[in-house]
Amino acid sequence: MKIKFKLSQTTLLEIMKYFIAVILVMVIGAVIILSQGNSPLEALRAMIVGSVGSPSAIGTTIRWATPSIITGIAAVVAFKSGIWNCGIEGQMYFGAFAAAIAGAALPLPRFLHIPVCLLIGGLAGMAFAFIPAILKLKLNVNELICTLMLNYAANLFTEYLVFKYMGFDASELADAIATPDMLPTARLSVIIPKTSATTAFFIAIAIAVVIFLLYRYTVKGYELKQVGENLRFSKYGGINYKRTFIMIFLLSGFISGVCGGTEMTGAFGKFRPAFALNLGWDGVMIASIAKNNPLAVILISIIWGMLKAGSFQMERTTSTNRLVVMVLQSVFVLLVAIDYEALLRQFKEKRQIRKLRIQKEEV
Amino acid sequence: MEDIILEAKHICKYFGSLTANDDVSLSVRRGTVHSVIGENGAGKSTLMNIISGIYKPDRGEIYVKGKHAVFRNPNDATKCGIGMVHQEFMLFPELTVLENLMMGYETKKYGGFLDKKQAAKDILEIAEKYGFSIPLDKRVSELPVSLLQQVEIVKVLYKGAQIIILDEPTSVLTPQGIEGLFQAIRYLTRQGKTVILITHKLKEVMEISDYITVLKNGVVTGNLRPDETDEHGLANLMVGRQVLFNTKKQEKQIAEPVLTVDDLTALGSDGTEKVKHVSFSVRKGEILGIAGVAGSGQSELIEAIFGLRSPAGGTILYKGEDITMAAPRRKREKKIGYVPQDRISTGCNVNGTLIENCIMGYHVAHKFRIPWLLGKEEAAAFTGSVVENYQVKVQDIHNKIGDLSGGNIQKTIVGREFAQNNDLLIIEDPTRGIDVGAIEFIWQKIIDIAQQGVSVLLVSHELGEVMELSDRILVMYNGGIAADLENTPDLDEKTIGLYMLGGSNSQMCKK
Amino acid sequence: MLQLLFSISTLSAMIRLSAPIALAAVGSAYGHKARIFNIGLESYVLTSAFFATWGSYLFENALMGLVFGIVSGIVMSAVFGTFVLHFKSDPIVIGIAMNLSAWGFTTLLMSNIFHTRGSVMDPRIKSFGTVHIPFLDRIPFLGSILNNQNTLVYLSFLVVIIAQIVMYKTPFGLRIRGVGSNEEAMQSAGVSVLKYKWASLIVTGVLAGAAGTCLPLCGISMFTENMSAGKGFLAVSAARIGKGDPLKSFFACLIFAFADALSVGLQGFSIPSQLVLTAPYIITVLVMCLTNLGELRKESV
Repeated sequence: MKIKFKLSQTTLLEIMKYFIAVILVMVIGAVIILSQGNSPLEALRAMIVGSVGSPSAIGTTIRWATPSIITGIAAVVAFKSGIWNCGIEGQMYFGAFAAAIAGAALPLPRFLHIPVCLLIGGLAGMAFAFIPAILKLKLNVNELICTLMLNYAANLFTEYLVFKYMGFDASELADAIATPDMLPTARLSVIIPKTSATTAFFIAIAIAVVIFLLYRYTVKGYELKQVGENLRFSKYGGINYKRTFIMIFLLSGFISGVCGGTEMTGAFGKFRPAFALNLGWDGVMIASIAKNNPLAVILISIIWGMLKAGSFQMERTTSTNRLVVMVLQSVFVLLVAIDYEALLRQFKEKRQIRKLRIQKEEV
Repeated sequence: MEDIILEAKHICKYFGSLTANDDVSLSVRRGTVHSVIGENGAGKSTLMNIISGIYKPDRGEIYVKGKHAVFRNPNDATKCGIGMVHQEFMLFPELTVLENLMMGYETKKYGGFLDKKQAAKDILEIAEKYGFSIPLDKRVSELPVSLLQQVEIVKVLYKGAQIIILDEPTSVLTPQGIEGLFQAIRYLTRQGKTVILITHKLKEVMEISDYITVLKNGVVTGNLRPDETDEHGLANLMVGRQVLFNTKKQEKQIAEPVLTVDDLTALGSDGTEKVKHVSFSVRKGEILGIAGVAGSGQSELIEAIFGLRSPAGGTILYKGEDITMAAPRRKREKKIGYVPQDRISTGCNVNGTLIENCIMGYHVAHKFRIPWLLGKEEAAAFTGSVVENYQVKVQDIHNKIGDLSGGNIQKTIVGREFAQNNDLLIIEDPTRGIDVGAIEFIWQKIIDIAQQGVSVLLVSHELGEVMELSDRILVMYNGGIAADLENTPDLDEKTIGLYMLGGSNSQMCKK
Repeated sequence: MLQLLFSISTLSAMIRLSAPIALAAVGSAYGHKARIFNIGLESYVLTSAFFATWGSYLFENALMGLVFGIVSGIVMSAVFGTFVLHFKSDPIVIGIAMNLSAWGFTTLLMSNIFHTRGSVMDPRIKSFGTVHIPFLDRIPFLGSILNNQNTLVYLSFLVVIIAQIVMYKTPFGLRIRGVGSNEEAMQSAGVSVLKYKWASLIVTGVLAGAAGTCLPLCGISMFTENMSAGKGFLAVSAARIGKGDPLKSFFACLIFAFADALSVGLQGFSIPSQLVLTAPYIITVLVMCLTNLGELRKESV
């Protein structure tokens, strides 16, 4: 019996697009690594060893996949509704700082302490997201530029808060600047010994699944999607745009803040200024590669985690700069952003016309 | 004198698998008005876009003054003396009239700078010669539609056009405005210019044309002079069957007011007052038509009533309840439906499936079995009923609505709003740019639904549509209501046209 | 305190610091008028800052640095244009991806070429010098603010003026404005939309390249990792605030530069440095709010 397996043209194109992108990125990566005087194959081996070669490697992968998932979901929530919240990083800083303080200062039992830390983190992120949201709504300030600016401000401001809280003065060494260690009751359990892979990973997956279900099965999710795809249509259809807009922005900020919280209760244990190092932007990149699909975010984030874990190993063993990975990640985003369907349509139209013209001339 | 100035031979044009023009030939004589008529989608605009160099023909040749001409872009056509005035004006709203006219045809000084003075002088000279008067320093966004059309005509004259193509020029004008345009056209032809007129309004064709070419489905079905035929004959050639609409209206009981608008004022997007102290009411089972020149405040009025624009003053009563400031959500909950003018950007989400498009509004007004959960079966059932009852041609309700034709999208939108048991329907330009079959269908549906006791507020820029369907007609002029007329058989277009221009005593609006 | 606000040194620093933002903002203004939302400007500035450093290092000549900077700005525009205009990609996604890759890319190149991390300093890197304009000496307050600035600062003034004239007084500028206003009308006027979108992108590239050059070659003669630090974003918002008008965008830049200058000046006071450093970003947001507020007011009247 023959199995009939037919893919729609769109799906086929999508698969092809990712395939082409992967190949191109590998080629570009090889060229960059070669230009640094290293062997691409060895770099690749180091990457694989570093990401899945041992339990601790897998732990590192999971450790980095975790924040990627959460920030990715924060980005998906905003982007799916056409809101360019690029302030995930800033919202994360506020969430992380608040969670770190709550973890260090509140004497709570374990079962309560972690949820409280995450909640406080989420609320702090949400509060910070409220600024661009309300400015956009009341004054029509472009949220993309506004959140970009606030990212810089958030980074500096949380640094200031650390100084203020700890009573340091400005001459203190940069390395020592941090909030006090969080209490053990506020720390998530490690799932792979001797790594930073914690139960935060499960929290991340749970968030992704909840958001997936929201879009798939609820009326609210339907409304959020329509707002993103055609704003006028959804206003006309009776969707309260203002409330929806604020809700999305706050939800995205809340998730970003929770990510700050999981980073603190999970891997870090205390707040250090500028700890995030692009985690927010990772989320933005992942969301755009995953085409705003929450489940795809999980998959891409695990790959992201592997790349990150592998890049550390690669740097140690082959002296290849690990920034190569970051460049390749963003090149991948570029390649996936190409609209192959439009290109194909253009091409087909041209061919069709040529064919018809030839037919006519033959007649 | 009547030598052939423009000749198109065996023009073919394809869009994907669609054949827009199939072996179309056309010859136009100097100094005449040559009408090209046909239904929407018959290929008129495509042909004109080819003649004016916007599209390249897939086959066929164009001869200007007997010489073979190949147009790589609109500039080449302009150089051959062909100028086109598009239905959607090709103007730049943010720029001044002068800058608009200079675009792509700039007069330069000092080797590279714009010479606005010289250009203004030249333009005013031309405008004067042909009897137009346009303000050069105003921004285009500040001008009324009729003036924009003059700007467009002066633009093609300024670029040295001998042959002027007018694409559906009368659709934005009042009957009086049309008279003015026709005078200008006659004046132009007397001065030796040639005019090609594209339209689907047969009466106008008979009035102004010297020659007529009829297109149907991309093929020429007739080449004749107006004295050889009449409107029925032309309609036959256009559609291939008799289509003089005869929508049947029965006697009906018109009862108490459902919607009462009192002293309503609303602002436009630019902050100026677009609706000025408007009062009227729509009764149960009544079709109330609103006529008026485009931009007289109809759109703002409708948006204010539906809640997409907050009123600046006045009240809206619906079934005795004040809903002046209510959002569209509450209006939908109270069974008010709305078919918007712009079906692509407001009426649907082209990237969504048919289901997603059909349940919009339904999800507010009717609620699913579990209110926060999207009932997939219920949604599919409702969509199925719309598709069936409104003859939407679609293979699968999971398909994208954007892949359907304009007529089918419009049927879906009309179906969605009509099938929700609404008590009041606001309908705006329900038949713009769709084919004749769909127009007939939608008109009949509107009449049927009013028969069932639903109140209809119909806004249309096609005067014929308003007169065909309405029980009562309001005429809007400059944001106010200029007339409130019963639609009796002896009401004629000229009378309404006069009101559309504001040329009557405004006391009539006070009831 | 108030004295410090409007002291000669603060205002002079404002002028000095405005140059890179102004150049990029004028470039962005051309993009804005042609309706291209180019958030990737940040990457233009950063990349050309690096290449300007390299060019200056290779030839021991600041002018070659400028050439390198401009060429790399054009290359960045070419990448952006190819993706957005031909591959139909979302300009925001492309902009973000370019910004991120520019950061990684320049840091990689830095370690490849200069074998350092963090920052590059080398005596071979030559900056542009300052210019003394004698007649400015005679004007009291203003003269001392405007005089003895870097060559690139005067270049930026010149660019603003030329850009303003080109935008409003030449066919090129008219067509750029036309492309942004109505593409279809542009086509029917026989002007290629694609060509003028590309033209506006090239202008953006050239000017953002020059802006990037200002960062390392305006005296300090060094390149540091992620040196642009949001200058490109500031320029984009300046162009938005100025609605694509080069002169208005320039004034917005002056406000940002003033905030920048203040944060330098205020560091001596007891205000924590972190708070002071947030000033340019906070002020950008505030200016955006105020201009929009003004507009909403105007509309409702």
